[in-house]
This record gives sequence, C-alpha cells and structure tokens, in this order.
Amino acid sequence: MPAKTTFKNAFPIIILTAVVAICVTALTFTDSFTRAKIEAQEEQKIQHMLSAMFPNMSRYTFEDDIYTIYTDGTEIGYAFLAVGKGYGGDIDILVGLEDETTVKGITIISHTETPGLGSRVAESSFTDMFRGLNIADIALRQEGGQIDALTGSTISSRAVIDAVRNTAMEKVELLKESEGRE
Amino acid sequence: MAKFRKEFIKGLIITNPVFVLVLGLCPTLAISTSVDNALGMTLAVFIVLMGSNVIIASIRRIIPNIVRIPIFIVIIATMVTIVNLIFHANFPDMYKSLGIYLPLIVVNCIILGRAEAFASKNPIPYAVADALGITTGFMLALLMISSLRQTFGTGSLSVFGFHFFTLPILGEHPIAIFILPYGAFLVIGLLMALFRRTGAMKSE
Repeated sequence: MPAKTTFKNAFPIIILTAVVAICVTALTFTDSFTRAKIEAQEEQKIQHMLSAMFPNMSRYTFEDDIYTIYTDGTEIGYAFLAVGKGYGGDIDILVGLEDETTVKGITIISHTETPGLGSRVAESSFTDMFRGLNIADIALRQEGGQIDALTGSTISSRAVIDAVRNTAMEKVELLKESEGRE
Repeated sequence: MAKFRKEFIKGLIITNPVFVLVLGLCPTLAISTSVDNALGMTLAVFIVLMGSNVIIASIRRIIPNIVRIPIFIVIIATMVTIVNLIFHANFPDMYKSLGIYLPLIVVNCIILGRAEAFASKNPIPYAVADALGITTGFMLALLMISSLRQTFGTGSLSVFGFHFFTLPILGEHPIAIFILPYGAFLVIGLLMALFRRTGAMKSE
C-alpha cells in the first residue's frame, strides 16, 4: 500500500484521537480546579442544614456516617442521611435526632419527585410533622402512626416515612452499641 | 448582517426546534412541568449550544467527514461536563436549581442536530446567530408548554416565587394529569396540531 493512502486512512483516527486528548485534558484541568471548591460547597450545605436543625450547635463530628452535634462540649443530638425510594428516584433526607428515641427534625436534601405532587415532601408542611415524634410513631396515620400522607402523593410520602423510620432505628442500634462499648 | 438576522429569525418559527424540527423532546417533556424549570433549561441549553456551535464552526475545516459525529459528541459532552463542574463550584445557588438540567443536555439532540446541520457547514458568526435563534425558539416553545402545564396541573401560575394568579376551582382541585408525563405529550401534541392548523409553522 502506498504511503500516501495509509496516511489518508489514518487521518480521521489521528484527528479524533487529538480531539479526545484535548477534551480529556480540558476536563482534567477543570476537575482539579473545581474539586476542592465543590467538596467545600457540599460540606457547607450539610453544615448549613445541621445548624438550621440544631440552632444551638457549636460544632459537630462525623464518624461512622453519624453526625454528633455538640453545644459547648455537651452532646445535644445526632444526625444522619437516609435514602428513600420515591416515585421518581432516590429521595435524600437529613434526619436529626434529639436523643435515642425522639426526632428533632428532617430536611429533604434532594429528590426527583413529580413537581407539584410528590415534590411537596420537601415542603415544611410535610417535614414539620416529623418534629418531636417518637421514632416508633413515624408511620401513616391509617397505619397507627402520626403522619398524614400528602394527597395524591402516597408513594412519595411513604418513601420518606419508611426511610426515616428504618434508618433511624438502624442508627439508634449503632449508637446504643457504641455506647455499650465505651 | 442580513444573513445573521435571517439565521437568527429562522430559529424562532421556521426551524423551531421543538414544534418544527421535533428535536430535544426528551428534555422538553421532562422539564416543562413549571415555568421556572423551562427558563433554567433554556439558560443551560444556551450556554452549551453557543459553546458547541462556535467550537465546531471554528474547526469545521479539519474535521474528517467519517468521524464527525463522534467528534461532535465528544465536544458536546466535554462542554456539558465543564459547565456542570464550574456551576457546581462557583454558583451553588444556580447549580441547585439547574442541577438536573445540565446533565440532561447531553441527551438534548438539538445541540448535536445544530452541530451536524448548521455549525459544521457555516462560519462562526452565522453559527452564533443560529445558536441564538434556536435557543430563543426553544425558549418560546418551552414557555408555551410549561405555562399551560403549570396552570392546569397545579391550578396556579408563579414564576421564581412571583405569584401571577390562582384559578378559581382548579386551585383546589388541579388536573394532575398535566403535570405527569402523559400530560406533556398531550400538551405538545395539541400545540403542534394548533400551529399546523393555523399555518403558523410549516415543515422545512
């Protein structure tokens, strides 16, 4: 095969490889410039939500996926993340506990529920119902609990309720265990 | 300048991306549930379409024909990811509201469609005009669809917290089907039929 034809055949491959190489370099650069900022951003988001939930918070520690909240050296509560299986995908929830039985409050971090219907789980009219509840009472009212489902959004409501209750029970077990060890 | 104007104007109606080209329906259906979302998506499309049109128009002479599609896709995906990262790092509030739309643009075939049909064959200024026109046409279509869906699906219309009106009976009992996916097909289909019927839009 004459050298000229070989080059002609290879030309598209060379160009494509070059374009991909340039794009990969651009992405790597952008990633290295933004990574630290993005992580700080996420950290700040959580911190902001925690201090909204625990207004007296002076600092917090994060260990074994549990945030422990302190006011001047005394523990005033715990917080952790829960994931609910909603109608449109995962619902990420920050759950705060006052002690090992009582809910301090919940905040919906992110969700992809239907706007106008399931999306109302993120509104305070829904999340406020969890405030001060005993973990055992987190269930729909018709199932013996203390929470009213949102009209037309039973799946989304149930997803949040189940995730909060199950994760809370799990974390409380962990907390009790680690206290037993100490 | 006359050609610049022409390339801009054509995007509004003659080659309206949603109603005439019937491109980018996937994000259109997904995000036209509220006017806020429609405007957010328009902004995201504007940034990426402008970037990809300009880059592709400027290297159009060296792109070999047989690998043009992979090259377009790599450039578009890179653009989207870079914009996504920069927004996430520097504009957290905007990222919060645009969060789901930015990644969705990768599957928005308007961008690839304009790269293939226009930017790869025209000089940079016209590619800019094309991006502006197509984005404006996309915005008009999205605004029409989303305002209808939001009004009937939630019974009221508000944009970025500014409340316009609440319908008398629908405010209490909204027609939820408009917010759900099949409502999107219904509204887009009816609007398309209306435009064809009145002759406001003809296929290219």
